[in-house]
Order: sequence, then structure tokens, then C-alpha cells
Amino acid sequence: MTVTELTTTPIYELRAAGRRFGQGGAQVNAVREVDLEIGEGEFVALVGPSGSGKTTLLQLLGGLDRTTDGEVLFEGRDLATLGDGALSALRLRTFGFVFQQFNLIPTLTAAQNVEVALAPTHTGSAERQARVEALLGSVGLAGRAGHLPSQLSGGEQQRVAIARALANEPRVVLADEPTGNLDTTTGEEIIELLTSLSSEGRQTVVLVTHNPEIARRASRVLQMQDGRLLAPAVPEELVAGGDRTRS
Amino acid sequence: MFYVSYIFSELRRRSGRTILTALGLALGVGLVVTVSALASGLDRAQGEVLKPLTGVGTDMTVTRPISFDTSGGGFPQLSEEERRQLQEENGPRRFGLRNLGKPGTKFSRDDFVAATQLSFPASTVSTIAGLAGVAATAGGLTLNAIHVEGTVPQETQQPQRGGVFAAPGAGPQVVGPRNVDIDAITVSGVDQTNRELGAITPGQISSGRYFSDSDSREAVLDAAYAARQGITVGETVKLGGKPFTAVGLAKTPLGGQSSDVYVKLAQLQALSDRKGRVNTVYVRAKSSEQVGSLARHIRETVDGASVTTAQDLADRVTGSLVDAKNLAGKLGTALALVGLLSAFLIASLLTLSSVAKRVRELGTLKALGWSQWLVVRQVSGEALLQGLLGGVLGVLLGLAGAAAITAFGPELRATFESAQTALPRLGPFGQGATPTASTDVSLDAPVSASLVALAVGLALLGGLIAGAVGGLRAARLRPADALRRLD
Repeated sequence: MTVTELTTTPIYELRAAGRRFGQGGAQVNAVREVDLEIGEGEFVALVGPSGSGKTTLLQLLGGLDRTTDGEVLFEGRDLATLGDGALSALRLRTFGFVFQQFNLIPTLTAAQNVEVALAPTHTGSAERQARVEALLGSVGLAGRAGHLPSQLSGGEQQRVAIARALANEPRVVLADEPTGNLDTTTGEEIIELLTSLSSEGRQTVVLVTHNPEIARRASRVLQMQDGRLLAPAVPEELVAGGDRTRS
Repeated sequence: MFYVSYIFSELRRRSGRTILTALGLALGVGLVVTVSALASGLDRAQGEVLKPLTGVGTDMTVTRPISFDTSGGGFPQLSEEERRQLQEENGPRRFGLRNLGKPGTKFSRDDFVAATQLSFPASTVSTIAGLAGVAATAGGLTLNAIHVEGTVPQETQQPQRGGVFAAPGAGPQVVGPRNVDIDAITVSGVDQTNRELGAITPGQISSGRYFSDSDSREAVLDAAYAARQGITVGETVKLGGKPFTAVGLAKTPLGGQSSDVYVKLAQLQALSDRKGRVNTVYVRAKSSEQVGSLARHIRETVDGASVTTAQDLADRVTGSLVDAKNLAGKLGTALALVGLLSAFLIASLLTLSSVAKRVRELGTLKALGWSQWLVVRQVSGEALLQGLLGGVLGVLLGLAGAAAITAFGPELRATFESAQTALPRLGPFGQGATPTASTDVSLDAPVSASLVALAVGLALLGGLIAGAVGGLRAARLRPADALRRLD
């Protein structure tokens, strides 16, 4: 068994991690036998065709789902064995999620959507407001705080989602095709934003994408196929395809 | 504060569903308020009817009723001693005009005969007072006062059966020979030293005053009797040949121990030659829970005693009032319960449906680190606010329903079936059956503050149940599953 090359301290260790759905003959192995280490501050791109298990793996990394086989260790703790409360706390304080469809709450303003992530932390109201203001400013939306998601463009909505993901200064940002619904220019801006997180803030970023150009911006690219992690790839190889199943 | 503004934002966004849920709860709550107000109005109407029946503070009355065997058996339940006592108290069955003097001689005589109760020694009052659970007792004496006056006719005629004596309370009768006038009224002796117990109490005085503690001859007249006779407070009435000053008028009971005239007990005992005897004992129990057991105890202690409780009296009330009360008590309660359960069900289903449509949102919240408890609290908070809205709307609906009942509700009739032993129209001692009496009461539906509080409480409970059901379902969603459904 080989593990991807790692140059920094591992924050994640995956050992034969797997996730099965269904039972009997209808069983589907969305993720199977994944061995992986991710270092702190790494920018990892997860690529592969639709249905290859990228999103499921991302959810396992973020404690949104539990492994059925193997283990996903975050700082030495198996996420599958943690209770709901502990996982909630991790998601609140340590992980930040960015979704393809933004997942903003339509009834709340941009500022309130960011505040959603701060509310459970018992931060004082004034401090919370100041933090929201700063976060929106950092993603270039200082003047759009009072707007509802329906009044924002796709790019602006995703910026709000990133501000929300960063609200509690997470150590890991997990982004699931954050540019999937955006035009090229806007997508580029979003990727710039995420790239700067790992380079400036020492935040670990795991990004799921279909786009080789975006994947090329990552410090490491992991390719998935049929739930398995393939050998390390370079962007050109990703476009051409090919079997690089790691052994 | 953030959570509250989030709740309001959500309810505003789903205003149609919010209003629908609130209206569902409001209908159920409004139904409960209306039915409860109606029941309360019926209770009040029944209380109004029963209050004069039971007397203020009286839980039960003890009498010694006589049942008369019309087939010629006489009084089979009485002992020889009791029969002798009865004979002594009521005098000869008939009086002969021939014995009153020569033809043309004027005559006047007064007799006091027992009504339908055998008298017993006043010591029985003390006996009952000594029983466990008795708070207070008072003795009473109810008799028919018969006044006959006229001129002995040339051809003496015996009064015809059914012609001389009339039913008590029917007013003066002139039914004998044309030259003989006969007045028959009912009179009760009241122990005026015990003002809270007795045939009448100060609370029943509608005009004038209650008896004084002096020895002066005073009478309180039944208001209806006084009106028939044209007697007002301050005038004099004669009883047993003695003048009594009418000091007050009293509202008479609908049934039971009603009399035309009330005088002090000792004076009636003296006038009727029944010193030291009573035929009714008024009893107040220490607590309402003890009434049943105390009634049994009295029956066991006092030979032949008949104990009539307030509930017995209530049971004898019939008519549309009772029909309406039964209807409200059974159908109304069932309707209110079904309405309320339906409202809870509707609210729960709508909340569940709302949760089902918000899987993505709730999954996102969990992905952002919201705990299960926070998600449950958020969904429950929304449902609770919907419940509050439903409660307010329900109270308004209930108030409208209650107002409609008060405005358009029918007059209800309460009919009291007399409890007195039905003797023949002309009994051996002249007493007749007390007629069935009725009274009309107007129906209203009062809504009390406690009822409003109950209604809002029920609506909040409905909201809480709906919120708990929806919230728990939301909380059980695994974030990955919730987010996976987006694709």
C-alpha cells in the first residue's frame, strides 16, 4: 500500500476508507479503499468524472458522513467514532464548507447568511456584526451586506458562501465544485480566493472540481474513479484520462 | 436575537403556509373556546336555577317523608307510635260544621297540618350535628296552615273531598259552601339564629329584611305569594289567628321546600302546638367530597330519614336547559376534542411538509455546525410562533362564537319535578302534591380570562407538538443525506 507523497504535517490520514450505500445486490461502493494523507496548509484538488466518489470523499473528510469501512482520522481521531455533538463542534469550528449551489438561506440577507455560521458560537452580537462586516469586506461584498441572495449574482452568492465558510476561521476548507455554477471569469476569482487561503492563512483546502485548469492551481491533485483514488496526476493526464489506479 | 429574526424571516417567506397552519390551529382552538364558553354559560344558567333550590350553603336536607298507600293500606312504613303522632299532629280528618254551633253562628278556626313529612324531635338536629363531616345544622318546620271561617249554614254541608283543601301554594281558596271561606297556605318555621342555613337565608331576601333576633312576630313572604295577595312589606298578615308583620319578601325556590310564608321556628312550633319538633333538618357538610358518605351515614342514623342532596335536586331539573347541557357536555366536548386533535394533526403535517421542503436548508445548517438541538429549536420556534398566531386567531374566533351564542342563543327552560311524595289531590290531612314548576333562563357564553389563557396555551401546545415532530425529523437528517438530495 502506498500513500501519496506528503511534504507537510498530515492533518488527515485515511486508511482503507470506504463508504457503501444500499444492501445486498443493490450495494454501491461510493468510496473504496482510499489511503491518503493530507498535510496542514495543503491545497488539494480532487478530480474525476461524475459519480467517481469525489463528493462522498469530501463529505467523509468534513464529518458530514461516516465511513462504512476503514477510517478517516482527523488529527488522529477517527471521525466515524465521534458523536453528533463532537462532529457538530468540528464542523462549526474546524471545517468550512463551500457548496456548488451556494446553499445560502434565501430569506436571510448576505450578512445574516454569514452570521448563520457565527450564531452557534455564542459570540456577542456586536463582535459578530463586526466580524460579518470584515468577512464580507474581504470577499469584496461590503456594500451588499443587506441584499438577499436573490438580489446577488452567482459569483456574489458564492463569495457570501465563502465568507460564511471562513466565518469561524476554520483550519480546513472543503469546497465542492465551487465554480460549477459560475462563468469562467467569476470562477477564476473564486479560485484565487481559495488559493490565497492556503498560501496566506495556512488553511488546508480540499477542492472538488471537474475543471483541469482549476485543478492545476492546487499543490496536489488527486484523481478518483469508481470510488478509488488513482495515482497522482498532472493536468494534461487528467484531460487525456487513463488508468492510474494506485496499488 | 439572530434566531428570532431568522424565525420571522422564515415565517414571512412562507406566509401562505404560516397562515394556513395558524388558521388550522385557530379553528380547533376557537371551537374549544366556543364550546367551553357555552358549557360555562349552561353551568351558570343551571347554577342560577339551582341556587334557590339548594339554598345558600345547604348541602342536603333531611326529612321523614310519608308515603301513602292509596289502595287503602294507609301508612305502612310508620310504626304505631308514629301513626299516633301523625294523628295527633294533624287532628281529625274532617270537622263537622254541625259541631261549630247553631245555624247562623259565625265561626273561625285555624289548623296546622303536616305537609308530606312526619315531624321528629328537635334533638335529631343535635344528633345529626354530632356526626362526623357535619359543619352545621339547622332545624325547620313546614306545615299547611288552614284557616276556615264562615257561618254555620241552615243545612249543614260537609265539605266535599277535593273541594275544601287545595294544593299548598295555590293561594286562598273559597271552595266550600258559599258561606264558608277556606284559606290554605304553606308556612315554614325558620331558625333565625342560624342565618346561613334554613328554608330561607338573608341572601334570598329580595325586598325588606331578614328576621330580627327579637321575639316580635315577623314574617317573610314568598314574593310571588305576596304579589298575588297584594301584600307589601310592612303590612300585617294573620297566621293561626295571630298578627305577623311582613318584614321582607323572598325569592321562592323553584321546587322543594317552598312555602308561602316564613316565620320564626319557635313561633310556628308554638302556634301549631309542635313545641320541640321539626320536620326538616338543613345540613352543611365540611367538604363537598363528604356529601355522599354523610348522606349515607344520616340515613343509617336517623330511622326512615330521606336525605336530599343538592345533586338530587339538580337531577330533578329537566327541560331544554338540561338537554342543552347534556348536548354541550357530550357532543360539544367530543366536537371540541376532535377539532383540537384535527388542528394539532394539521399543524404537525404542515410542519412536517415544511421540513421536507427545507431539507437542503436544514442540511446546510448542520453542515455549518448547528447542533441537532439548535435545529430542533429553530423549527420548534417557528411552529411555536405559528401556534401563538393560531391561539390569538382562535381566541378571536371563539369570542365571535361566544358573542353569537349570547346574541342569538335561545331561552332555555328548566323544569323542576317535585320531590314531594305525591299524595292524592285531597289527602287525609288536606295536603296536595306540589306542582311541577318551570323557569326560563337566557343562555349566554361567557369567555373568562382563564379560558383565553387555556386557548392560547392549547395553541402553543399544538405548535410545540408540531414543532417537536417536525424538529425531530429535521434533526435526524444526516447532513450528507440532506445535501445529497440536492443533486
